[in-house]
Amino acid sequence: MAAGERTRSEQAALRVLIVEPPEEEAARQPGGVLDVASALRRLGREIQLEVHREPAVALRAMAGGHADLAVLDQALGDRFWSLLDAAGSAAAPALVVVRASDEAFALEAYRAGAADCVRVGSEFGDLLPIAALEQLRRVRHIRSKGAAARLGKRVDDLKRYNEHIIQNMNSALVVIDPGARVAYANPRAERVLGAEPGELEDEDVRRWFPGLPPEEILPLRTLEDGHRFRGAEMVLTRLDGALIPIGLSCSPLVDSEGVREGAVAIFQDLTEIKQLQRQVLQTEKMASIGQLAAGVAHEINNPMGFIHANLCQLSEYLDDLQKVWDRVDGLRTAARRERIDGDEVRRAAADLEAMIGEVDAAFLLNDFGTAIRESLEGSGRIREIVRDLRAFSHQDTTQRAPTDVNRALDSTAHIVWTMMRHSVVLTKHYEELPPVSCFPVQLQQVFMNLLVNAYQAIEARAEQEELRGEIQLHTEVQGEEVVVRVSDNGTGIDPQVLGRIFDPFFTTKQVGVGTGLGLSTSFNLVQQQGGSLHVDSEPGRGTTFEVRLPLGEEGDP
Amino acid sequence: MTAELPVVLLVDDERHILSALRRSLRREGYQILTANSAEGALETLAEQKVDLVVSDQKMPGANGIALFAELERSGARVPRVLLTGWPEEIPAGELRKAGVTALLPKPWDDAQLKSTLRSCLAGSA
Ligand SMILES: Nc1ncnc2c1ncn2[C@@H]1O[C@H](COP(=O)(O)OP(=O)(O)O)[C@@H](O)[C@H]1O
Ligand SMILES: [Mg+2]
Repeated sequence: MAAGERTRSEQAALRVLIVEPPEEEAARQPGGVLDVASALRRLGREIQLEVHREPAVALRAMAGGHADLAVLDQALGDRFWSLLDAAGSAAAPALVVVRASDEAFALEAYRAGAADCVRVGSEFGDLLPIAALEQLRRVRHIRSKGAAARLGKRVDDLKRYNEHIIQNMNSALVVIDPGARVAYANPRAERVLGAEPGELEDEDVRRWFPGLPPEEILPLRTLEDGHRFRGAEMVLTRLDGALIPIGLSCSPLVDSEGVREGAVAIFQDLTEIKQLQRQVLQTEKMASIGQLAAGVAHEINNPMGFIHANLCQLSEYLDDLQKVWDRVDGLRTAARRERIDGDEVRRAAADLEAMIGEVDAAFLLNDFGTAIRESLEGSGRIREIVRDLRAFSHQDTTQRAPTDVNRALDSTAHIVWTMMRHSVVLTKHYEELPPVSCFPVQLQQVFMNLLVNAYQAIEARAEQEELRGEIQLHTEVQGEEVVVRVSDNGTGIDPQVLGRIFDPFFTTKQVGVGTGLGLSTSFNLVQQQGGSLHVDSEPGRGTTFEVRLPLGEEGDP
Repeated sequence: MTAELPVVLLVDDERHILSALRRSLRREGYQILTANSAEGALETLAEQKVDLVVSDQKMPGANGIALFAELERSGARVPRVLLTGWPEEIPAGELRKAGVTALLPKPWDDAQLKSTLRSCLAGSA
């Protein structure tokens, strides 16, 4: 870079201002100013000559301050001194041509600021061009150290500043030449790709995307037609072969004339972000499993409560009935004797009778049946819950499967309803649906989120006013889509926040109640299945969420 | 004779729980009344003398704690037992404010149920 700068100041033409004396022959003498002119001219376009005949014009030109060197002739007479002054104020060194051997004049000229004096018409007649060149060399030197140095410092500062930014920026930055090779890679890029410093130089960027056709390698398309990309996601193969997700922006690199000379690619390693996303998903899943578990536990606990109590009672009943049976045995023994003892039989029968009365056997037998019936009903309820739960736990979460959406919705609603049956009436309107190819567990997770939200909105509204909570489930086929609607008559959603409810962590609920992840996760889960999630809400009236799932194979990846 | 039996009011929205509780207490010599909501329980309590209330916590409408808090507000001194599967979910402050005499787990243990009720009745006598 410093080299470029030097070239520029060297190339900038040096301006030499020559003032021709009135006597033409003097000027034409060997070594005279015109001789200097022709000598300098031979140096090429580096030197810009300005020859003046009119001293007044020369003075004005000098005052313009653009001369790098003034060549003034003693033969200029009176005007000589004012021209020398002007050269001094314009900071242009003055080279003075002294006629004959006039030391006094030379001394005077030096005193007045002349840079050099050269006598012409002598055996050293060739000295003038040499002296002029020497002066120019000095000018050039001073310029490159002065003005150029000042400019250079600014350029350097800027460059260091840019360099600093590029070196330390959090994004990887790679400059790609038209041949798809790396012209520059910042340290972050080296780190993302797992390269040693400098190792990426000249590397073909196609190597980072093995197996991808060129038209899918975005930087190549930028090289090709100048296309810009922002925030595109790609998978990049590091030098060690590991695959990482990246977010990529590409723009063409153009020179000052607008000609494309490559591309700049800026990208970020998204591994951590993706991991976070997965964690969020997991957190959400855990949160919904937590809610689910609480609902299930409550629902199982009631039947467990009475089944357990009934079993304890039944074992007491059995003890009592055993006592009756023992008396029955006594009676049988008395009745089986070879010689029946009427008294003994009567006593045994009385014993039996007494015991039947004591334990209230009629009641026991009757209630035994009731307790068993009630317990069976309870165990039936638990069995149903477990069957619904199995839908959650026993499925492959990574595989699409033809799914009965009505069943998925119903079993989920059944589980969730257990925790809200006290305050909510659930109405269902299911249309017959063809099987939908989707991820059933994820779908149930979505339904659960919608149901839990609906329930919470109803609870919140019920705190403000007398309310008969109602959740309506509705399914139907619309064209090529299955539509599932979950409607509630809860609080509704304020239009001001309606646009944010799908944002991760957006919640209007208390800490511990809301995670703000339910809807954002649901949105993603539905989208993953090729479907969409919509909301319609009226504050104070209620809310409807609508899940739309594509029918048939189009939704398959 | 029955007039002398302690009157126990059982409150639960789950019919089978009431029936199981009744079964458990069959031999305890209580006169047993039942209600399937807090509101129903308050009606019964307004109509007749009750010596002990046993209520489920989770019910539609007012829950067990709310029922007991209402009793406390009205100055009733009847001992009260709260039946709940999640006792740790109820803050101690609320238990105190509602004047809860004893907590019973759900599912309950028969022996514990009986002894708890006995000691609650003895304490209030
Ligand atoms: N059915 C609904 N009725 C009213 N508001 C709702 C409903 N569903 C969602 N919301 C609003 O959207 C927000 C985000 O919901 P969600 O992502 O499930 O997070 P969370 O339920 O944990 O707050 C909720 O806090 C609530 O304000
Ligand atoms: Mg939610």
